[in-house]
Amino acid sequence: MPRRNLALSLILVALALLLVRSAPVPPVELGTQRVVRTVNPKMGIHTRLTDEVEEWKIKRTLEMVREMGAPWIVEYFPWGYIEPRKSHFRWDHAEAVVNHARRQGLTIIARIDFVPQWARPEGTTFRYLDEAHYVDYGDFIHAFVEHFKGQIRYIIVWNEPNLSFEWGYRPVDPASYTRLLQIAYTRAKEADPRVQVMAAGLAPTLAPPGSEWGMTDLEYLQRMYDAGARDTFDLLAIHAYGWRSPPDEPPAPDAINFRRAELIRQVMIRNGDGDKKAIITEAGWNDHPRWTKAVRPGERIAYTLRAYQMALEWDWCQALVMWAFRLPWPTYTYQDYFTFVAVDFVPKPIYEEVQAYGLGG
Amino acid sequence: MDWGDSLMQRRRVLLIALALLLVMGVAMRVLLPAIRGGETTWARLQQEGVLRVGLDPSFPPFEYEEEGSLVGYDVDLARELGHRIGLQVQFVSLGFDGLYDGLKAGKYDAIISALPYDPRLTQDVAYSWVTFNAGQRLVVREDEEEIKRVEDLRGKRVAVEWGSAGDVEGRRLDKRIGFERVPYLTPQEELEALRGGEVEAAIVDAVSAYGFMGAEGGVKMVGLPVTDEPYVIAVRLDSPVLLREINFALKAIEEERVLEELKEKWFY
Repeated sequence: MPRRNLALSLILVALALLLVRSAPVPPVELGTQRVVRTVNPKMGIHTRLTDEVEEWKIKRTLEMVREMGAPWIVEYFPWGYIEPRKSHFRWDHAEAVVNHARRQGLTIIARIDFVPQWARPEGTTFRYLDEAHYVDYGDFIHAFVEHFKGQIRYIIVWNEPNLSFEWGYRPVDPASYTRLLQIAYTRAKEADPRVQVMAAGLAPTLAPPGSEWGMTDLEYLQRMYDAGARDTFDLLAIHAYGWRSPPDEPPAPDAINFRRAELIRQVMIRNGDGDKKAIITEAGWNDHPRWTKAVRPGERIAYTLRAYQMALEWDWCQALVMWAFRLPWPTYTYQDYFTFVAVDFVPKPIYEEVQAYGLGG
Repeated sequence: MDWGDSLMQRRRVLLIALALLLVMGVAMRVLLPAIRGGETTWARLQQEGVLRVGLDPSFPPFEYEEEGSLVGYDVDLARELGHRIGLQVQFVSLGFDGLYDGLKAGKYDAIISALPYDPRLTQDVAYSWVTFNAGQRLVVREDEEEIKRVEDLRGKRVAVEWGSAGDVEGRRLDKRIGFERVPYLTPQEELEALRGGEVEAAIVDAVSAYGFMGAEGGVKMVGLPVTDEPYVIAVRLDSPVLLREINFALKAIEEERVLEELKEKWFY
């Protein structure tokens, strides 16, 4: 008898464990619809939720962005994550991000790249897309825009294609990127004519002519226009890191600073594209104690606040999105010192100062 | 034969065998790296007579270049350690963000480079005892007698470096104790304001505090460190003998007040 009881108990415990193991994770409530209260409607920040697994962390991130007074976010939606096999889509994570962001009253700019393995040759990186597969990227853009119709109004086609690394370690090719942009633009508009297609932000770089690593942003953009890019995007994304310079430092072709954005803008005007607006989708300063391109933490705060204010005064600039709100885990490098909030959601002083500014404090 | 007793005996034997296996497994896990370390890193060091030290020489007064030579607190410390361990020291310069990768790749045997202890990396590298505490310190004017610890800051004007780790700590302490937090852009400005009487105390990192005390004076550190940020030496996990030798040498260096002498040499 006792042995039978023991066996029965073990079976019951095993069943209970099985039930606990297979019980569905309770969903994270979206909560009530919120709006962003801010004195600067152009404030934005990169949220980098791509690799954030836990939904409550996605929600908490987006709540804190709203509480900081930033109505804009840029979020990365990797093609390879969402379409791991041709025409097989996994939307759940992307939907969680979009639903929570919209519930917090945020406007989403979706950056779309990351080539799935099935769309590139063996041995290439996820930045490699040959022209034969541009049509696959176009198909994905169509599917993405259609899926989030009415929810996502802005998409960015690729990222920093003027760097060899971002172009699959091949020589950069503005004309080829322009063909990719053309296909993406056409397919996006087919899915939703109201969606705003943004040409990729170019890496601010002073690469010498013929460099194997990349091409200067100013030259690359001009070559895009030469290749007929003018009718292939609605807005231009701009990357404008300040490195060690204050935001007011005057722009110059041989200097990387925040106001280099104005030189990019000049290229647009020179090519008869001055009516289009731009969004600075990456910018910011770093306060790593040892990194050579970093500034002191106080300078970082002062420069960031000033840059948000400058964007407010630039009529051509629709929003300024700083890099980056939080990372899901520490990188152990200078990258950790770009963030506004620590991995464990503890706000850094820069968060509190930007929040005080955003709320008009 | 009693089958019940036999079953019990077999179970006991099985349990003992399992326990033995477990003990052996744990012992192997603990001892293997040591054995391996003895066979590789330490054996090689003994054979070559050279300890290769990785550093980023861009952080005075810990490590920097002066007239083409490497100098600084860590450079002296590395040479002192090498002398005590019986090894020549050879320096390998690298950018700070690449130091851990260089160690893992075997470019050098230890990192001695104002390296903050990082509990998240203890599965990747092994750390020595502390070589310097760079945490936040409470600093007051030299003639200040009333403020001896953070609890004495209630109602006082306290300088912090805006946005820094000292600012984070200042905001936290302010909520608990209650004082006026006065932000400055740099530690230099913060400490000048303290010396000039604009504020009654400052929370500042130890490196800046020692530097100011040495170069300009007029202020002093009081109380225990407000926070700890230990600088340590890192070695690969497969170098337990080297780590043990470094720690023995560090203990002796500390007991003989050599670390204090290095502080006096490089900060005062």
